[in-house]
Amino acid sequence: MSEEQVVRLRAPWRVGVDVGGTFTDLVVQDVDGRMAVAKVPSVPADPSRGVLDAVAKAASQAALSVGDFLAGCAGFVHGSTIATNTILEGKGARVGLLTTEGFRDSLEIRRGLRENNWDHRTPFPPVLVPRYLRLPVRGRIAADGSEVTPIEIADVHAALAVFRAEGVESVAICLINSFANPAHEHAVARAVREADNAWPISVSSDIIAIVGEYERISTTVVNAYVAPRVVPYLRALDSTLRERGLPHGLLLVQSNGGVASVRQLENRPVNLALSGPAGGVGALALFGRAAGTDDLLSMEIGGTSCDVMLMSGGRVATTDQLMVGGYHLSTPAIDIHTVGAGGGTMAGVDAGGMLVVGPKGAGARPGPACYGFGNTQPTVTDALLALGRLRSGPYAGGAVSLKSELAQAALKSAVGDHLGLSQEQSAVGIIRLLEQNLLNAVERISIERGIDPRNFTLVAAGGAGPMHGASVGRMLGCKRVYVPRVAGAFCALGMLHTDIRQDWVRVFAGEIDTVSPPALAHAFADMETEARRVLRAEGFMPERQVIVRTLDLRYPGQQSSLQVDVEGTFDPAVVRRGFEEQHQRLFGHVQPAGRIAIVGLRVAGIGKVAVLDPQPPAPGSQAPAMVASRRAYVDEPHGWMDVKVYSGADLRPGHRLSGPLIVEETTTTVFVGARDTLSVDAAGNFDIALAA
Amino acid sequence: MTLDPIALALVQNRLDHISRQMGWVMTRTARSPIFNQSHDFSCFLTDAHGTLISQADGIPIHTGGGGFAVRALLKAWAGRIHPDDAFVLNDPYEAGGNHLPDWVIARPVFVDDTLAAFACNRAHQSDIGGGAAGTYNAEATEIYHEGIRLPPLKLVDGGALREDLWALLKLNSRTPELLDGDVRAMLGSTQIGAERLQALLEDYGLAQGLALIDGVLAHADRSFRAALAGLPHGIWRAEEKTDNDCFETRDIWIRVALDLSADGLTVDFTGTDPQILGFKNSSVANTWSAVYMALSSFFDPDLPRNEGTFRCVKIVAPEGTIVNARPPAPMTMCTVFVAHEIVHVIWRALGKADPARACAGWGKSIHNGSAGRIGTDRPFVAYHWHCMAAGGAVDGRDGFNQIGHLIALGGLTIPNVEGYEQAYPLRILKHELRCDGGGPGQYRGGTGVDYVVDVLEPAEYSFRGEGLNYETGFGAQGGLAGKAGQMRLTLADGTVVDPPKYQVRRYEQPLREFALSPGGGGWGSPLARDPQAVLRDVRDGVVSPQAAGDIYGVVLSDNGRAVDVAATQARRTALAATT
Repeated sequence: MSEEQVVRLRAPWRVGVDVGGTFTDLVVQDVDGRMAVAKVPSVPADPSRGVLDAVAKAASQAALSVGDFLAGCAGFVHGSTIATNTILEGKGARVGLLTTEGFRDSLEIRRGLRENNWDHRTPFPPVLVPRYLRLPVRGRIAADGSEVTPIEIADVHAALAVFRAEGVESVAICLINSFANPAHEHAVARAVREADNAWPISVSSDIIAIVGEYERISTTVVNAYVAPRVVPYLRALDSTLRERGLPHGLLLVQSNGGVASVRQLENRPVNLALSGPAGGVGALALFGRAAGTDDLLSMEIGGTSCDVMLMSGGRVATTDQLMVGGYHLSTPAIDIHTVGAGGGTMAGVDAGGMLVVGPKGAGARPGPACYGFGNTQPTVTDALLALGRLRSGPYAGGAVSLKSELAQAALKSAVGDHLGLSQEQSAVGIIRLLEQNLLNAVERISIERGIDPRNFTLVAAGGAGPMHGASVGRMLGCKRVYVPRVAGAFCALGMLHTDIRQDWVRVFAGEIDTVSPPALAHAFADMETEARRVLRAEGFMPERQVIVRTLDLRYPGQQSSLQVDVEGTFDPAVVRRGFEEQHQRLFGHVQPAGRIAIVGLRVAGIGKVAVLDPQPPAPGSQAPAMVASRRAYVDEPHGWMDVKVYSGADLRPGHRLSGPLIVEETTTTVFVGARDTLSVDAAGNFDIALAA
Repeated sequence: MTLDPIALALVQNRLDHISRQMGWVMTRTARSPIFNQSHDFSCFLTDAHGTLISQADGIPIHTGGGGFAVRALLKAWAGRIHPDDAFVLNDPYEAGGNHLPDWVIARPVFVDDTLAAFACNRAHQSDIGGGAAGTYNAEATEIYHEGIRLPPLKLVDGGALREDLWALLKLNSRTPELLDGDVRAMLGSTQIGAERLQALLEDYGLAQGLALIDGVLAHADRSFRAALAGLPHGIWRAEEKTDNDCFETRDIWIRVALDLSADGLTVDFTGTDPQILGFKNSSVANTWSAVYMALSSFFDPDLPRNEGTFRCVKIVAPEGTIVNARPPAPMTMCTVFVAHEIVHVIWRALGKADPARACAGWGKSIHNGSAGRIGTDRPFVAYHWHCMAAGGAVDGRDGFNQIGHLIALGGLTIPNVEGYEQAYPLRILKHELRCDGGGPGQYRGGTGVDYVVDVLEPAEYSFRGEGLNYETGFGAQGGLAGKAGQMRLTLADGTVVDPPKYQVRRYEQPLREFALSPGGGGWGSPLARDPQAVLRDVRDGVVSPQAAGDIYGVVLSDNGRAVDVAATQARRTALAATT
């Protein structure tokens, strides 16, 4: 699967494109499961150029014109950072907020939530709407949805005059208790639309009808903030791709791990906040099938950070509490735990003389010291180079070239000289501390989710993951570590295996033992009708539609909910069992026969894409030959050893090799410990059996 | 012995991870919402002598205080501590407790049959008996009014839970199920901590493991000395008052002298007023923790939070004063007040030694609780967290406009209005920033909020209005104080009530409560504030045009939409000359 080799594709094929901070990855897989990867530099100023460059490169690898390559696409799925970057860089629109009189400041008070309480000198990130553009509207809905005082539309008109004078580009509407009755919000939206049709309008009860004004306002405001930047960009990319031959529209990965069309996202661009990493959901589904397990922990390590995800029983954990750049979003999102640990993570010595690794990183520029772009603080990559795990010379198709002497100099001046250690000892210390931090991150997710990681398979992905997978897996007590052959394009690959998905959430008040089943069925039916309508509009016939109905449940008085699916007819006994099983696993106790409140309903409308696994490489007949052997540091008891180096292209299904060894793949480098065994499985991926 | 610097870094990282892991287990398994909403607990590890070796996670007012509990336990049980034992204690006079509601579970760790360490959890219980439900009895005048007192007790003996003791503990709580669940969660989290700590020590061997732990403490000592290095040596004094003893209005002073020398730092409370009648008296553990918290938060948030950090800090707290009361003075409130005053007084003194880091004061809280019934059988207790106070400014950042208690460094989540209206018979009418509430400064103090609520049912009101009627968020480096809190009740029949500071009262009719929460202090001269920031404040309605002119010296033009630069310069020059 070397990049230079022509891969002949048979139409139709699917394409996944993931725009990262440094590289844009494209993975294509044809109807026979044949797969190819194209990696090009990202263009942060105009991410769509990176996408088009990747398309051009993939087309040329397949010996096709761009037009023919696009024409053969049955699905083009894109993970875009456009929404996330708009938030992180503070480049969104000027937003005006209409809110209930008396509550202009929820957005700025932020419930007092800060990430690190001890760090009280760091201010909140700037509030996205200044107070003078958060304007009050009289009128009040009570907690039960009844009207206390009617809505005062004259206040809307007065506010709009201010918005016009102030150059507002996008309007957010969020009124108190609108989750219980959206009539006032809709009346306000109508008045805004009638006054000026050009403003994008974000209405909280349409975007996410949850209880809790702060999170709902924040989500609605972020939506209004990104919409004028994101929607035109997506439309333009969509039409460019169509003009060049793409038969169906562009699909985008959403935070919930499902994809949606540009049209679906026009009113909810905030759903793109996790667009890139959420591609990992499809990848976990794919590797779960290949590895024969539903229980996976993944560790995707890139240049600056490590994303940890958990799939238990075939399901990836989700959350309603997402934070992007310090702003709260309450849209359904996959639960990813991110820590500052990657190839570019920097090491140093603190004021008290202790070795520290991270969380700061050197980024893509200047990057590790050994890149020679001016950084003199050693990074994880420098340590790996000093230990022989990486070699000097060009990587990533020549985009960078590693220089050993620069790594050595950085290790000596910033660590070794302070601690009385050699460069080699410093490098060993850095790797051990990094791997302990990775272990801590995985343990955190395991403890919080109430699972035992020893029963899980660790998937080591991302460009830097396979270097540390075996070591971290061993510390966790796992028996095997699974390394995707295209580890460096994990999310792009996952996008090929991602279903269409849209979530609907509604507040509902009742208890499982006393609720009227017809009332519940009726509420679900409303949401399901809407879900099916959207799926049909996206071209999914009923046989490919899956509807998942879920209850948000809690013991009265609890602050957060657990989710239990309702399959078939609602049966309180079945629901209680599902709730209690989860409660016991997560919290260690249940209230026998306790009252269980229903606080919300969820419906997920899923359009299933056909399962199509990648075609494995042809089985290898004889043992592969190593391409090199070099001295490398293996681990504490073994020290430095002669380590065989293999080219990934030579490793075929059925091959089985004993460590220590290194595999150089196009998007990653795999390290296998002294007593571990690497097998290439039927799917062509690397399955590492760990020695105790 | 020279220590391997890599092993040292790995051990420090593992110790902190173990104390965090204990916290995750606690958050996940405890019953009361207090633990996941307010994080009112801390998990910590000590060595065999009770020296705190890690407390990576926990409410700030517990900083560095855990060692007192373990040392008291060692004193009571020396020679009779065995594997698979676990202890419980709470008493601030006899057992190294900070206040009665915070119970400590301590579990010994044995390696090679030697007592090597302890894994502990200190957590606030939902109810422990005493004169008022929910652990805070504002009318207490003796510790006996505040709940059950526990000396160091063996709760688990060689792996067997002492059922008689367990029954006694539950019998003394109004919420035995919550207590049962929460104490079991504490036992579970210390079990995990003890196992992990034992594994760590076994990995290195006991002798080497303990040597590395000493190395971790020595690193913390060096880190704090590095933070002090460069500060001028000398004595800095400061004082701070509270205006009441919970029963009557009178000034009570907390005074401190900080002596900074090459040897370290002495914190001397000599001159502080005697202990008081009400429940704000501080215990030794709480006073020490408040000092440690003030130091840690003033310097680097990444300073290690183990006892090594404070090795060069000596604390003098004369017995019989409000910062070290004699029995049987009541003290349940001390983790908030007088802890808030202790943190403030240290910040004031440190600000003189190190002006660049000076922190302005945070407003003291005023929120009361309303308890009653919805209909005939559904009891409710609603705290009015929506009128929490504001934070003070520091160089480079305005104060937080509304934030949780100082002693948790804001780590208390303000509930959503909508969630509150679902749960309680309340209709909140206003929750907005105050105008001119924040202390003026180059960096402005937090504004505080304007809060109006209708309580729709008759209810019992427990008042804790510390921050009412006097300025509590002091200014720093020429910044001014934030405005005092105010509160007023209007009963359904029209009667207007001026509420007491600390008391419980019952009103048999619905009422409307009006509150202005205290503002935070400003940092630096208001005349140095960026005129564009003043313009923004005026446009936002959090600073009045009059205050902009009179206090900040900023003259606006274009109908209040721009700064008149020349007029502002002239005005500031004139104002500077008069002050």
